[in-house]
This record gives sequence, C-alpha cells and structure tokens, in this order.
Amino acid sequence: MSTDWPYLDVHQSRTHEPTPYEYQLASTLEEVFTKDGHELTDVVSGLNTRQVHAPDGSPWTEESFRAEIHRLGA
Amino acid sequence: MTTPAADHIYATGLRNQWHPVVPSHFVAPGAMRKVTVLGEQWLLFRRSDSTLSMLADRCPHRGAPLSLGKHLGDRVACWYHGVEVRTDGTVSSVPGLPGCNLEGKKLVRSLPVREVGGAVLAYFGDEQHPDPAPLTLPEPLTDPGTDAILCYAEWNGPWRYAVENLLDPMHGAFLHHESHTMYDGDTTAKFRIRETGRGYFFEKTDQRGVNFDWVELCRTGVDWVDLSIPYPPSAGPGGPFGIVGMVCPVDESRTGVFFWRYRNVQGWQRDSWRFLYRTLIEKRHWEVLEQDRVMLEAMPADADQHENLYQHDLGVVRLRRLYRTEAEAQAAALAQTR
Ligand code: FES
Ligand SMILES: [Fe+2]
Repeated sequence: MSTDWPYLDVHQSRTHEPTPYEYQLASTLEEVFTKDGHELTDVVSGLNTRQVHAPDGSPWTEESFRAEIHRLGA
Repeated sequence: MTTPAADHIYATGLRNQWHPVVPSHFVAPGAMRKVTVLGEQWLLFRRSDSTLSMLADRCPHRGAPLSLGKHLGDRVACWYHGVEVRTDGTVSSVPGLPGCNLEGKKLVRSLPVREVGGAVLAYFGDEQHPDPAPLTLPEPLTDPGTDAILCYAEWNGPWRYAVENLLDPMHGAFLHHESHTMYDGDTTAKFRIRETGRGYFFEKTDQRGVNFDWVELCRTGVDWVDLSIPYPPSAGPGGPFGIVGMVCPVDESRTGVFFWRYRNVQGWQRDSWRFLYRTLIEKRHWEVLEQDRVMLEAMPADADQHENLYQHDLGVVRLRRLYRTEAEAQAAALAQTR
C-alpha cells in the first residue's frame, strides 16, 4: 500500500482488470438497458438477440443471467 | 472578532466532532499507517483481529514518530529507544529502564474510532470535550436496501472548498456539462434554503431530478452531505444514484474526499449496477470528480477573500457562517480555561 500523497485511483471497486468478455457484456447491457428496457425479461432477450452469450456459449435464461451477474457484481 | 486560534480551527477543521480519516483498507490487519488529520500527526494501528486504534504519532519519551516504530501485535515499539505503547496510549514498557515510572501511565492520546462503509471515522475532541459526540451515521450507509460504493481521493486544497463545492449545486450544469450524468437541465435557477433538524437543504425551486438539483447538509456528529443525480437509462434499473459526501481536513491546504455512490437496488438489479459500475461507470464518475479537483486545486488561496456572490451562493454563505461561528466559539471556550 503506497502512502504517497495524493491518492488518486480511478478504479477502487475492481478486483481485476475486466476480461474482454466482461467488457463486452457490460457494453451490451448498457445498450439493452437503453434500447430494450429495464426488466429482467428485456435483459435476457436483449442479450440473446445480440448473440452475447454466457462464456459456455449457451443462450441466457433468467436463472443463468441472475447467477452470472451475481458472480460478476456481488 | 477573530483570533489566531479561531483562524486555525477554521483552517484545519472543526473540533469536537467526528471526521473521516482514510478508507479502511489503507490499514491492513497487523499493519499501521501514519496519517495527517486536522493538521496533526496520527498513527492508525490495526491488530491482526482487525481491531483498529488511532494514536497520536508521538512517542511519550522524546517525541519520535511512533509510525517509524515496530508493530508488536497489541502495541507499538518506538524505534528510537524502544519504549512500548499499547493501543489505548498506555506505556507498557521502557526496555532500557525496567520499572521506570513511565510504565503504566497513559501518556499518548488515543481517539475513538468507528468504521463505516469502508472508511475510518475518528472523534477529534479538544481538551474540554474528550468524550465522543453522539454519532448518527448517514442512512444510505446503514440501510440494507441501499447499496453504497466508496470512492476516495486526495485533493490539494482547503477542506472548506471541497464542502463548499458540494453546497453549490449549480456548478453541475456548467463544470460537469460534458458528463454522463449532468448534461441536462436548466442553466438558470432559483434556489432556497430549507432548514432541517440536522442542517439544511439548498435546493432549486423550479427543477428536480434533472441535474444536481439539491443538496442536504447533515450535521449528525459527523458532517456529511446527501444529494441525488439522475442516471441515464444505460445504467439500468434503480433510478438516480445518490452521493453521501464527507471531507477529511488533512491540513490547511490538503483534503481527503469521500464519496459514497449509492443506489436503492437489490438482487439482480444491484448486481447489474455493481458490475457496470466496476467495468464502465466508475471511470466516468472519476472523470467528473477530476473536473472538480482541477477547478478546486486551481482556486487561488485567497479566493474566498475577493468574491462577488449572487443568489446561487446562499448555500455556501450559510455554510461559512456556520463553520466560522463554530470555530470562534470553540476557540473562545478554550481560551477561557487557559
Ligand atoms: S523517543 Fe521513543 S523511545 Fe525515546
Ligand atoms: Fe462537482
């Protein structure tokens, strides 16, 4: 831990630099929230329509999205 | 009437209340860290079980900084002649002269500390007020339905300028015009002050929920502000985000700022916000904060001596009067007992 003044750290909430998958999921989520809506059904169908799937390649379900976003955002 | 003592308190921070110090993670279990607060040197000391203490960074023997010493688990050993001080400030041993009458005496000041929302708070009482003032924590940091993420930064400027900046909502529509959250809203406004039991609101009378339209100053044992800023639809469900802001007066010209961005979200909505925050939003928030830092650090030292204020500055004027009055009162009370 550096004690140098001033402490100016852009990223204080991350545990790691996001992976390309995480970046893509995040930017697609923003697009879905902007264009499709804020309900869980909007999110699941919005991501699937855009072919942005879970790392194993399978389309999202509400359960799988909840689980993955919890892993990523808890 | 103003005295050097009152000027000093005004410049370095009010006494007899709690202030934020640093983020909790700055002091790992089993570690210690030197910090400057209210113009004074302090030592944060954490035991391996995470218990935190805050001691004056001054050896009771000849004044060497204890922060140069050694962490001994439940006490610190001064590097100079080895005097050991417990976390409550008591000298536990004088290795060079066992049985020396310093042993067993509480010779080092230690401050009451609390940790909240990932930050260390400490109570800075003067000689007349050693016991901690009652502390009511900001609800957004204690409410289980609200999720708060701390952002901490260190700015080269007086602590008051950082608080004044928060009591000045109108800067949002100008300084932050090119930002992801404050691009919208009128650039003209009328403001009013609304007193509350714990401080006051400074708010626009004709616009709400568009830009940085209101702020509440809360004095609940610690000084903090509450405000709310709209998020664009891209940030997902949960509506606007709020900020709990606190300021650490480091010394006359340096300030630690604490911003908890909070949102009323739970379940997958909370997880989505946190994920987007880490991945994309935190950096955008940082850029907005940097606009504040650049502006405040560029303010001349005598900025508040040669002003021409207008109606939008009532929130700042009220704040200064409050702090100035309290600094004078604290200085006067101390002078009486000397
Ligand atoms: S100054 Fe600390 S032991 Fe002497
Ligand atoms: Fe700002």
